[in-house]
Amino acid sequence: MPVTLEENDALSRIRLEGAIEIDCAAELKALLVQALSSGKETRIAIEAATHLDVTAIQLLWAAKREAARSGARFALSPPAPEGIAAALREAGFEIEMLKGA
Amino acid sequence: MSEREEKMTMASNADQFKQSFREEAREILVDLEAALLELNNHGGDAELVGRVFRGLHTIKGSGAMFGFEDLAEFTHNLETAFDEVRNGRLEINPELIDLTLAALDQIRAMLDEGAGGASLADEAACVEILAKVRRMTGKANHGTGRRTGGDKAAAPASSAPASGPLREWTIRFAPGADLLLNGANPLLLLRELRQLGGLSVKASMAAVPPLGELDPERCYVAWEMALVTEASRDAIRDVFIFVEDHCELSIEPVPDAALQRASNPASAFAPAASVDRTARALEDPRSQSGGRRTYDKPDNASSLRVPAAKLDQFVDLVGELVTVQARLSELAARRDDSEIAEVSEEIERLTSSLRENSMNIRMLPIRATFEKFRRLVHDLARDLGKDVVLTIEGADTELDKTVIDQLSDPLMHLIRNSVDHGIEPPEVRAARQKRPTATIHLSARHSGASVLIAVSDDGGGIDAEAVRLRAVERGLVVADAQISEQETYALLFQPGFSTARQVTDVSGRGVGLDVVRQRVDSLRGAIDVTSKPGEGTSVTLRLPLTLAIIDGLLVSVGNACFVLPLANTLECIELTREDVERANNKHVVNVRGVVVPYIRLREHFNISTPRPEIEQIMLVETEGGRYGFVVDRVLGNCQTVIKNLGRFYRHVQVVSGATILGNGTVALILDPERLAADAVRLATPGRRPNRAAHPGAGAGQEGKKEGSCRNVV
Repeated sequence: MPVTLEENDALSRIRLEGAIEIDCAAELKALLVQALSSGKETRIAIEAATHLDVTAIQLLWAAKREAARSGARFALSPPAPEGIAAALREAGFEIEMLKGA
Repeated sequence: MSEREEKMTMASNADQFKQSFREEAREILVDLEAALLELNNHGGDAELVGRVFRGLHTIKGSGAMFGFEDLAEFTHNLETAFDEVRNGRLEINPELIDLTLAALDQIRAMLDEGAGGASLADEAACVEILAKVRRMTGKANHGTGRRTGGDKAAAPASSAPASGPLREWTIRFAPGADLLLNGANPLLLLRELRQLGGLSVKASMAAVPPLGELDPERCYVAWEMALVTEASRDAIRDVFIFVEDHCELSIEPVPDAALQRASNPASAFAPAASVDRTARALEDPRSQSGGRRTYDKPDNASSLRVPAAKLDQFVDLVGELVTVQARLSELAARRDDSEIAEVSEEIERLTSSLRENSMNIRMLPIRATFEKFRRLVHDLARDLGKDVVLTIEGADTELDKTVIDQLSDPLMHLIRNSVDHGIEPPEVRAARQKRPTATIHLSARHSGASVLIAVSDDGGGIDAEAVRLRAVERGLVVADAQISEQETYALLFQPGFSTARQVTDVSGRGVGLDVVRQRVDSLRGAIDVTSKPGEGTSVTLRLPLTLAIIDGLLVSVGNACFVLPLANTLECIELTREDVERANNKHVVNVRGVVVPYIRLREHFNISTPRPEIEQIMLVETEGGRYGFVVDRVLGNCQTVIKNLGRFYRHVQVVSGATILGNGTVALILDPERLAADAVRLATPGRRPNRAAHPGAGAGQEGKKEGSCRNVV
């Protein structure tokens, strides 16, 4: 599965693996909603991802905004690989906009 | 919806988008072919070169976006060649044109996926074409090495499609809700744009709704871009050609920055103030409208593509409705109930306009069919060492899609025949002091309920005597038979008939014109040939405008009903016994001082019921002049759903089909042209009536009940 959620007492970790594209967008949204509603810190493990498409970017961005609004902690951990960061910049996105709140 | 169903819907959406790419790419290929052939005639016309370049560029870029990567890579090499032409480093020559035409055939084959999605292109031919193109351009193959699924970028372009001075453009691109579901990837479009010049991009997230309300498969991001390029607005727009209907797009030049930027293109990558300003302007209305975009408006498409099969089904249903409506009218007429009569009339009116509308939807201009013959003429002329141009007239003439679909083959045979047999070799033309460039003229025009499609050439004309001798040789006519010019030409359309002593690759087997005749017959059309020795030949196909439903006039003779196409009918007058006697029993009538011959259908079809005191003459206009058809009664207008008579009656020329009437009986639809010609033929001394051409004989009209006609449909 390219998108998985691991939870412990303090943390919800969503792990992204390979190409995160429209075919797993519904699943990513469901996991983000679940993670944010738990009230725990949400971490997005992005190091194994090779590609993010528009659906993934806008979901992560919306999740980050949601977390900021509710005061929850949200972070990309570790930071996005350079390949992904470069592709995002090329498409007019700033990687900072996905980083932690 | 279950996850599986959702995935299936997504896959089918992506397939639909791929299909839409295929269709649009095929249209671009047609345009490319036309531009190449024009280029062949007009040397290095810069506009045409630009058109070819843009077409190739669009197919390449969009092909890559929709997963046709081999196609994109192959096309890229051709694009490079035309880039060289555009930049004056390579001259247009016949070899490049032929090579590109051959390459277009391969691209077309790549679009036609075979079973299991395999490409139908000839790999060896592709390799050979690319090798030749590379030899010509002196450039190595670009984009070799297949891209993996993770990197679906378009093949890198050699350079931007330059067509003007360097200037800066502001591009706003907001994908529509369904863009992603349809398999398109906006990020690839940005990469494609980057190939046109220096690009700075800013994504706007203003329309992204809260996470809970966000539809994960919809695109909410919009982009604001500054592009510094020599490319024209059209070239920029071409990048978006396959998504244009699914997005909001604006491409505006930045007024005074062009020269400044030209001197320092790198500055385009700096966050330009104008971009920030316009980005804000873009963001504002979106945030106010709660994330909804204006493309959500239902009227954003001005036209739509519908599969032909759906349209056929629709017209079939309209046909059924017309038949049922006829039954209702019949029922209403029998019952003395004004309310039912009123409803029936209303339904009749509605059915009639529904029928007209559905028929109009099926009408297509013949342009696409005509245009594709430019290539045929070009290839044939080259192979036969002749210089021939194709001219086209009336390409906007519309006719039924079904007729158009069946026209390609006969026209192809006629054109092949013209180029091979009609047009003389260059030395003969020179000896006859004719223009070295021969012309084949393809034309279409409406004439009543028919459309006339003509293939004319300025070649040597038909040697009627040679045709006659060949016919005698083959035992088709006796040696001393006196046959008219038209009858002589008609022999050319006999199966296996050819005056060519030598069979070539192009023609001479005597098959082509036989195919033309069969196809035209099946379309209930007619062929007319005129020819002048030394001046050329013209073959005209007369075809019905539609094969589905026509407006007809229902008439009766004895117990039999017939339908006359309304488009041919002029007026109806009475014929009394006194009128007949006044004309000394000759079959003519005086209509306001004009003598018009008439054909009495009762006699023509051997209907033996007694003649009424007053008969009706239907005056119809035919190619051969005005004729009257004498019937017992005129029953009124009727919307006629045409049914084929089947192959047993294929030789019955005077009947073009049959229709089912409201009371369930069958009426034969008469072909006034052929009926008049048949009557003239029968009246000519020395001719024996042709029983085979007797509809009454086959349709059970001789005193039998109409119901017995049913078995003919």
